[in-house]
Amino acid sequence: MLTKVEMLAEASEVLFLEAYHLDAQRWDDWLALFTEDCEYWMPAWKDEHEVTEDPQREVSLIYYGGRFGLEDRIWRIRSGQSIASKPLPRTSHAVNNIMVSALTDDSMTVRSTWQANCFFHKTNKSETFYGDYEHKLRKTAEGWKICRKYIVLKNDYIPTMLDIYNA
Amino acid sequence: MKPNELKYGDVDRLIIDNVDDGEFMIHRDIFTDEQIFELEMKYIFERNWVFVGLESQCPNPNDYYTSWVGRQPIVVMRDADGSLGAFINSCPHKGARVAHHRKGNAKQFVCSYHGWTFNTAGECIYIKDQESGAYAEPFNKLDHGLHRIKFDSYRGFLFASLTDDVPSLDEHLGETRALLDVVWDQGPDGVEAIPGNSNYTYDANWKMQVENCIDGYHLTSCHPSFMNIVSRRKTGESGNKSVKSIDFNMLNTVQGGTACLPRGHAVIYSPNPAESERGMYQHYDEAVARCGETKTKWMLATRNLTIYPNVQFAENASLQMRVIRPLSPGKTEMTIYCLGVKGESDAARSIRIRQYEDFFNTSGLATPDDTIAYEDCHFGYQGKTLEWSQGYARGMQNVKAGADEFTDEIGFEPDTGTYGRMMDQDETVFYGGYRAWKKFIKDGLESEAKS
Repeated sequence: MLTKVEMLAEASEVLFLEAYHLDAQRWDDWLALFTEDCEYWMPAWKDEHEVTEDPQREVSLIYYGGRFGLEDRIWRIRSGQSIASKPLPRTSHAVNNIMVSALTDDSMTVRSTWQANCFFHKTNKSETFYGDYEHKLRKTAEGWKICRKYIVLKNDYIPTMLDIYNA
Repeated sequence: MKPNELKYGDVDRLIIDNVDDGEFMIHRDIFTDEQIFELEMKYIFERNWVFVGLESQCPNPNDYYTSWVGRQPIVVMRDADGSLGAFINSCPHKGARVAHHRKGNAKQFVCSYHGWTFNTAGECIYIKDQESGAYAEPFNKLDHGLHRIKFDSYRGFLFASLTDDVPSLDEHLGETRALLDVVWDQGPDGVEAIPGNSNYTYDANWKMQVENCIDGYHLTSCHPSFMNIVSRRKTGESGNKSVKSIDFNMLNTVQGGTACLPRGHAVIYSPNPAESERGMYQHYDEAVARCGETKTKWMLATRNLTIYPNVQFAENASLQMRVIRPLSPGKTEMTIYCLGVKGESDAARSIRIRQYEDFFNTSGLATPDDTIAYEDCHFGYQGKTLEWSQGYARGMQNVKAGADEFTDEIGFEPDTGTYGRMMDQDETVFYGGYRAWKKFIKDGLESEAKS
């Protein structure tokens, strides 16, 4: 049984690695961090303080019940057929305030805050997106994998567009 | 044209409308010029009916939500007796906003600056320390209530106007009412906005969005990544089986129509080649029993409707409502809604929501390609050496006036329209909007010259 400090170190490594892959546009490595049955969910806001809670009856900004949705997006990014995806913005993710909970030997819940600074080439504009993450990690034969990424986007007045690399 | 020198006659010069000789051209200044934007706001958004929301956003007594008419903030509220009204969201005393939230329920609004208080009918019910204010008589004769603006609804769709000098809402909506019925009647109790807000902005003119919704020509060239993802899901190359979005390749095989309607409204439509994949299809039998087969066919069709100038109903797989708010010639705010049938089944709703997120979200797989394309146009309009856009020429040989057997099916009469292969990707459907644009602005300038 790992100590909480060791768990925190392992969780941090997964989150930092995910941010690194996104920022380096290492899409295959990024996808490989997720389990095939992962949930990727960025709810929408219902009012100032409440986000949508039921992705089957309410609208989300992004909702996928499996890695296939992320794979569709990566295909689009790479296809060269999406004008919104070229040139891709440069991004820098910062992940902070990491807390682990619900520890067992093979799973943990990791809460954090995030900020993605994004530089859009066509407009020479920097946009910042930020909010909270909740990752669920599962221990597999290849190490820790993300089986849930839940993203609360705090500034949801979106300048033009938002994709998986902005959050 | 130099800034601030726009004359009445120049409005004519900005649109070459000479279809008999094969010409329809738009001057690019109308997408960038500050003075033209001012005229648009004044005469198209602030002297006309504009869409302000859905009744379902305000269902109970004392519910309210905040919105805009042109550049002016409003609050729509339902009073204690259940009547809806729209008011400028500004205290008559010093001007502060009185409704602070996007939506809510409140029996009264207390201005947080000096405490004037209003009921949900907009009446001023309390002026703090009025007795000791030494007010002169003229003040006591003023109406201290929130400024009520003209307001009306059609089915569950709410509209407001900043002036009373407008035709009735029924007259304004005119031929579009049959098409709004096709939206509203999809459920026995109508449609509602599914919870989940979405606001975004883009750095280009508001008319780019007006055009895009009824522009069939851009689909195959602007959205190939989306089309190919849908194909990949069909072939199994993508493992995504949880969303069945419409395959736009199939539109090549169908016939469809475009129509310009009075007062700038417009619609494009074609049968849905995969109607059984729509959420609404889950209730097909109920819809046919209630509305008949023809109307149900129109409900399931792909159908994009613009109610000029600021609301669009885009229906391909799911049903989206878009509200356009121009912020400047080069910046536009969008508020988008996923509309769903009130009381629909879990299956229908989840099919609908997945399709909506896939295509329409600004974090989805299609809309960002549109909005970036608008921004690329706006970038291009800096090339002022090029004065005229050539994007209004397709289909000019096919235009005809009046109704046909298809529009007769649900009963609307276009000013002009086309019917034929969807691949013809008609551009004459933009004419009505620009003809109305010119008329709104010229009528406005003319009436001001008289006064």
